[in-house]
Amino acid sequence: MTRSQRTAAFIASRLASVVLTIAGATLLLFLMVRLVPGDFTSVMLGPRATPELRAQITHDMGLDRSLPEQLWLFASRAATGDFGEDVVSHRPILDIVLDVIPNTLALAFSALVLALVVGIPIGVIAALKPGSWLDSGLALLSISFITTPTLVVSVILFLVFAIGLHWLPVAGAGAPGDIVDRLQHLILPSVALALGWVGYISRLVRASLLDTLGELHVRTLRAYGVSEYRIVGLYALKLALVPVVSILGIGLGDLIGSSVVVEIIFARSGIGSLIFNSIAQRNYPVVQACVVFIVAFYIVANLVVDMVNALLDPRIAAGRG
Amino acid sequence: MRMKLDRRTFLAGSSALAILPYSRFAFAADRTNPVIALDADIGNLDPGNRVGTTEGNIIRSVCQTLVRFEPGKTSWTNDAAKEIKQISDTEFDFELNPGQMFTGGYGEMTADDVKFTYDRFINGDKSGKKLAYADDMEALKAVEVTGKYTGKLTLKHPSAALWLIGICDASGAILSKKAVEELGEKIATTLIGSGPMTLKEWRPKEQFVLAANPDYKGPYKAHFEEITGKIIPEHKTSFLSYQAKELDFTAFDADQLDTAKGLPDTKVIDIPGVDYTWIGMNVQKGDLADLKVRQAIRWAIDVDAIIQGAYSGATSRAKTLLAPGLLGNWADAPLYNRDVAKAQALLAETGKTGLTFTFTCLNDATSLAVAQIAQANLAEVGITLTINAMDSGAYWALGADDASKDLELTLVPYTSKFDPSFQTQWFLASQIGLWNWQRWNSPEFDKLHQEGLETLDKAKREAIYIDMQKLLDESASCIWITHGRNFFVDAAWLKPMFLPNGKDWQFEFFDKA
Repeated sequence: MTRSQRTAAFIASRLASVVLTIAGATLLLFLMVRLVPGDFTSVMLGPRATPELRAQITHDMGLDRSLPEQLWLFASRAATGDFGEDVVSHRPILDIVLDVIPNTLALAFSALVLALVVGIPIGVIAALKPGSWLDSGLALLSISFITTPTLVVSVILFLVFAIGLHWLPVAGAGAPGDIVDRLQHLILPSVALALGWVGYISRLVRASLLDTLGELHVRTLRAYGVSEYRIVGLYALKLALVPVVSILGIGLGDLIGSSVVVEIIFARSGIGSLIFNSIAQRNYPVVQACVVFIVAFYIVANLVVDMVNALLDPRIAAGRG
Repeated sequence: MRMKLDRRTFLAGSSALAILPYSRFAFAADRTNPVIALDADIGNLDPGNRVGTTEGNIIRSVCQTLVRFEPGKTSWTNDAAKEIKQISDTEFDFELNPGQMFTGGYGEMTADDVKFTYDRFINGDKSGKKLAYADDMEALKAVEVTGKYTGKLTLKHPSAALWLIGICDASGAILSKKAVEELGEKIATTLIGSGPMTLKEWRPKEQFVLAANPDYKGPYKAHFEEITGKIIPEHKTSFLSYQAKELDFTAFDADQLDTAKGLPDTKVIDIPGVDYTWIGMNVQKGDLADLKVRQAIRWAIDVDAIIQGAYSGATSRAKTLLAPGLLGNWADAPLYNRDVAKAQALLAETGKTGLTFTFTCLNDATSLAVAQIAQANLAEVGITLTINAMDSGAYWALGADDASKDLELTLVPYTSKFDPSFQTQWFLASQIGLWNWQRWNSPEFDKLHQEGLETLDKAKREAIYIDMQKLLDESASCIWITHGRNFFVDAAWLKPMFLPNGKDWQFEFFDKA
């Protein structure tokens, strides 16, 4: 097999596993949400939930069918992008999810970029001065970032930059089409979400860079008199970033998961807050649609990372990496 | 093009980033139209199928009702109606003002629209499905159109509640027949009205904008060109947003009262609630079937300590079902101040020892605090309480399929309306297995409830509802905790308006202070 054939085969096998994983996750989720006690009619209608209304809404949601029937209906419709209609607003569930997904993606991507932009330099600086007070200080800082809960960071940012200094807005995602307003509303939530990953990435870069700087080819470069800045910037850092690329897929998935907390605190509409509220209301169809999107996104992000790695390192595609 | 990053470029970029937050946000506090917070998004804008107070508040400001609540009061005056003439206790003639136009080009309001609107409550929607709020118009029998602008309402029985919780409120919002028929299920997300305001914009999960309706012909012109409502589910977040000057008005929790009082350019609004939270006891369940056990529990639980410990002392204690200010409030209701000796004596009379019960409540901090105080109080008289805290989904599901039959003690928070019949209905025998979790069955109470519905004389109604509360008191099935309290902060320049329960906001009457 040629290299390109091996890469194509690798990508095809990964795509097949993506489909299976989405199907498995959907099935698991479908069964899990039905194990939770409570029903939608009671939460939404409270004392107005007469037996007739309850029966009507149960029918509208398809909950009066058998479990296998419900699963088949959901899976067959979801495969065509039809997640049904919300029984309260009669809006297509796909529209409800698509309304909020851009906010969550903007939040997750901006947090990831922020984590990379801040985390990589911290890791590099620490690796260049191993064992120094600066290295120790940055280690302390990184570990503080990792261990401080997003909730606490959010509240501190809230109090300092919104209430204390009045620099930045707190609630919502900003006016659509107003890029400045959108950016202003993105800053604090992004920082809150990114901080933990700043810590992770900086520690990872430090360890990886120290390993790379100890390798033979780097010593050879030093022996040839290449400056330390060129060695780090042009050669060592590229290699040191390979493990960082590998965790980006997981990172993006984790950031989307963590966005639930941030979206609730900052009152941002997004898939996190949508799923949280829908679970509280036992609005199964919306929960299912949200999770399918999250699972699909997580898997696709990891697939892209795998493909990038396969292209960068042929040993991975050949199954030897 | 290759970008060169030198010291000058870096400084310029950094400065631009630093200025970014100021570029528009610095002017946020100079608003002329208010931005307010609501804790729930719009769910369904069909008046008969609305799901929360947010929709109710919007519907009342966007649509016309025959008669409209006056600012801050439960009394009403004509709005869409030019005249309403009472023919008898069960017959009313109405005449609409001419020229009242529906938005969206749906034409002029006629008596046909009134009939169409009310018939949905009587007969169900297009497919015959009962509307969620159909019971608000339970007393209405028929609507007859007698002219373009005139018609007749016929009632099944005399009813004061019909006007207060039906015709005046969001359920009574007059819809355009043409619009509803054209829009179909889209009326859940599209509100066509003829009232003082229009729903200019709704971005789900984010915000809505109400704008003054220039074509409104009635007597209540909106004072602001626009009101923006931000959807912020957490009161803590909206309170902080208010402090950050992003909002001009928001509700907040009682534990923030001291902070709120210290805020500059701020008015703190404190409205006693008319809702009711109580500890219910299942009178059909084991040892709780013994009246003396229930009386002992009532004497043992320290409601004042609950008010202090669970509600930060920021709300007042309830002593009966109907809150002060509501018709039928039993002002002389007995107050059961904690008396351990009396509780122990009653238990001794029963000869029961080692009693254990389960206390079911929601899993929020306030409910858990109430449960823990009750647990400590009852432990002192030898009763062991196990707390079973549930999330709202599981908790409210107890109102279905007789799931409440195994409950023992429950902490129940219910919302109110202005007519006492709305509150008393949950204690009827017909609600056993649904929302009467005490499973208390009193034919006398049921009879009085029906009498209350059909009586128009205010004094007689008052006496009926007081008698009903006396029966509840004798049953010792309920320990009343609080009617709640509503706290709001608003910018000094703004004058919000609410109905007396603090929950129903009147956007059309919001004004500059």
